[in-house]
Amino acid sequence: MRRSILLLLALAVLFVAGAAFASDYPSKPFECIAPAGPGGGWDTTMRMATKVLTEEGLVKSPMPVINKPGGGGGVALAYVQKKAGDPYSLIVYSPPLLLINLTGQTELSYKNVTPIAMLINDYGAFAVPKDSPYQSMTDVIEALKKDPKSVKIGGASSPGSMDHLQILQAAHAAGVSGLKEIAYIPFQGGESLAALLGGHVGVLSTGMAEVVGPLEAGDIRVLAVTSPERIAEGPLAAVPTLKEQGIDTVFINWRGIFGAPDMPQAEKAFMEDALGKMVQTASWDEICKRNGWTKAFMGSSDFATFLEKTNEEYKTLLTEIGLYKQAQ
Amino acid sequence: MDILQSLLYGFSVAATPINLAYMAFGSVLGTVLGMLPGLGPSTGVALFLPLTYAMRPETALITMCAIYYGAMFGGSRSSILLNIPGDGAAVASCFDGYPMAQKGQAEAALAISAIASFIGGLLSAVAFVALAVPMARFALRFGPPEYFTLMVFALAATAAISKEALLKGMISLLIGLMITTVGIDLQSGVQRFTFGLPELQSGIDFVVVIIGVYGIGEVFKNFETIKAKGAQAIQRKFGRIWISMEQWKRSWIPILRQTPVGFLIGILPGAGGTIAAMMAYNNEKQLSKHPEEFGKGAVEGLAAPEAANNACSIGAMIPMMTLGVPGSGTTAVMLGALLILGLQPGPLLFQHHPDVAWGVIASLFLANVVCAIINIPLAGALVRVLSVPPRILYPLVIVLALLGVYTINYSVMEFHILVLFGLVGYFMKSFKIPTAPLILAVVVGQSMEQSFRQSLMLSDGALSIFVRSPICITLLALAAVSIAWPFVSDMIKRKEPPKPAHAPAAPEE
Repeated sequence: MRRSILLLLALAVLFVAGAAFASDYPSKPFECIAPAGPGGGWDTTMRMATKVLTEEGLVKSPMPVINKPGGGGGVALAYVQKKAGDPYSLIVYSPPLLLINLTGQTELSYKNVTPIAMLINDYGAFAVPKDSPYQSMTDVIEALKKDPKSVKIGGASSPGSMDHLQILQAAHAAGVSGLKEIAYIPFQGGESLAALLGGHVGVLSTGMAEVVGPLEAGDIRVLAVTSPERIAEGPLAAVPTLKEQGIDTVFINWRGIFGAPDMPQAEKAFMEDALGKMVQTASWDEICKRNGWTKAFMGSSDFATFLEKTNEEYKTLLTEIGLYKQAQ
Repeated sequence: MDILQSLLYGFSVAATPINLAYMAFGSVLGTVLGMLPGLGPSTGVALFLPLTYAMRPETALITMCAIYYGAMFGGSRSSILLNIPGDGAAVASCFDGYPMAQKGQAEAALAISAIASFIGGLLSAVAFVALAVPMARFALRFGPPEYFTLMVFALAATAAISKEALLKGMISLLIGLMITTVGIDLQSGVQRFTFGLPELQSGIDFVVVIIGVYGIGEVFKNFETIKAKGAQAIQRKFGRIWISMEQWKRSWIPILRQTPVGFLIGILPGAGGTIAAMMAYNNEKQLSKHPEEFGKGAVEGLAAPEAANNACSIGAMIPMMTLGVPGSGTTAVMLGALLILGLQPGPLLFQHHPDVAWGVIASLFLANVVCAIINIPLAGALVRVLSVPPRILYPLVIVLALLGVYTINYSVMEFHILVLFGLVGYFMKSFKIPTAPLILAVVVGQSMEQSFRQSLMLSDGALSIFVRSPICITLLALAAVSIAWPFVSDMIKRKEPPKPAHAPAAPEE
């Protein structure tokens, strides 16, 4: 008798708590994770998004951002597994979420987080020193076709990650054989730009944001951007796309917000809605403009489909260059 | 004089009451964070980052710079008083700073460190104004092979710091290099020695190694003697925080000649404060007339690295301001902040936002003064930590160390590694194996390996790339000389008629 009363009581408490959860959400502070150090793309995206969400009153609870760097985002991915079902854990990711899995660095994948919404797209760029013999992306491709080792390509991410993939994707689309032999030399952070400015590498494969400053100053030339259409404003507006140069490919650095695995439906819908409203605010427009981001909102289910499709594309490319590895 | 006019304009931007107030705030915050083991300038700047969104860009950047310098000033406080470096750049300050404190000269040690930091910073700020652009261009000539040979030189000089311990120095160095192989290999993406633990994928953070080997190792070492030493080890009377004329005479030349070393290393985007401070220390030891006093509380052995690491932090601003290339972890965060504030770092910053560019440069001068003003009285309070009995102090040190390493990755894995390196430090001290080569190897090991492999990829495998430029050849020659020097100088001394043992620099008591 006593036991059954206890059981009933426990059930009642659970029920009340559960109900309170859904309707009061959010009622306590979030934990917003940037899976890398401060100052980078993930960190900036998360900080900007939480800033607008709270300032516009779309989310009433505090949204402090914490940095969990390591393993190309893998450490944070392992961390959110412990938060399964917790609707107060948010994390930002981009292509490396798929890539660290496909290159075998972690067995966790995009399936181990809950996609809430894609927010922005960013694109890559290929830059050369100002006195480089290469005048266009076609010149680089021609050189690679003759001898894949002849052009030393620098980048700021590890092999098999974004900077590497975007040059391979371009070379692949242009019909370069011997993708495996292309000399990709990874540097850390800003050192890649220094290596280009000093003429130590022939081509720098990197994000658009990284090249704007030195391009404006005339220290480098940018041969191509990986966006589908030309960038509308700023110094990059004069730079042709890969497509314009007959290389039919686009490389997107998408960024979106995810929840912990098994994020409850109602809370996910709430956040999706809040983010959907956020991207329509003037302050978000301003932030995107300032950072050179292209607005690219995509809701939860579309985002999930997109991830699945993109994962297959990356897999094909990585298999081709022999970097695809199933984590043990 | 265009530059002077711009600089004056910069002062008019930086010296507004609000900017000065933020500068003072930044200096205090930086000093405090710098003192705490594990928390360094990059943590400070990152912590402050969210507050900058609502600020004017020049104020934000001035405050961040103040945090940076503050941390450089503060980093050596715990090196001197507790033998725990606040971060890598303060490791070399332990070598003679802590022995000074042990000899009852803590006041002088704290004072000379602030004075040397001040002078190093001020001279570098002048050099910044005069030489920023040509220096930045020069730094670009450093490609992977140049970095590799630079690190070979730094390590060789550190391992060969004493002839007797050359072999032990090499052992220490190799252990350090081995530690840096843990983690995901940047070139191939392969995991090395991670045992499948995601926490080890990004490698072992050098801050954990430093705090373990120095802080925890020191506590373990003292644990042996805690009963024997008991109460007499603590200092009860404290003097004024200042130095004697004698100490100044020994220090001013080392400060002046190691400042350029620190400044130059700061400008190189791939080097950093640890290398700068270690090199300054090595140089002074090799140039000194009484190298045997180094490591036992030689005042110039503290002054030189202190001047160099502050000079380095100012040098590190140059690639960021003039090229848009961050020269250190901290300036990388600042660069991110600039972008968030809507400014494009790089040469055009001076044209598009002269208020920010010159305001920040002027603040280099002002923040140095502010930091010095804050640090001298602060030292008067801090020095009293020496009056805390060991049985209370050491548990506190352990708590601080644990807190410090936890903030690196917010993972408990760091605790295990910390204790492990505490034991390593204990055994190294017991067997008199020098720890400096290990620490420097841990700091530079990863980038040294990467530079080596980047070089070989650039040359399609030909080793000749390491002698491709005059910079490489000079650095390799310097490395050879620094290993040979202890032997050579010994031979020279033996040939000279034995002088009456030089007066062991008047004991200060």
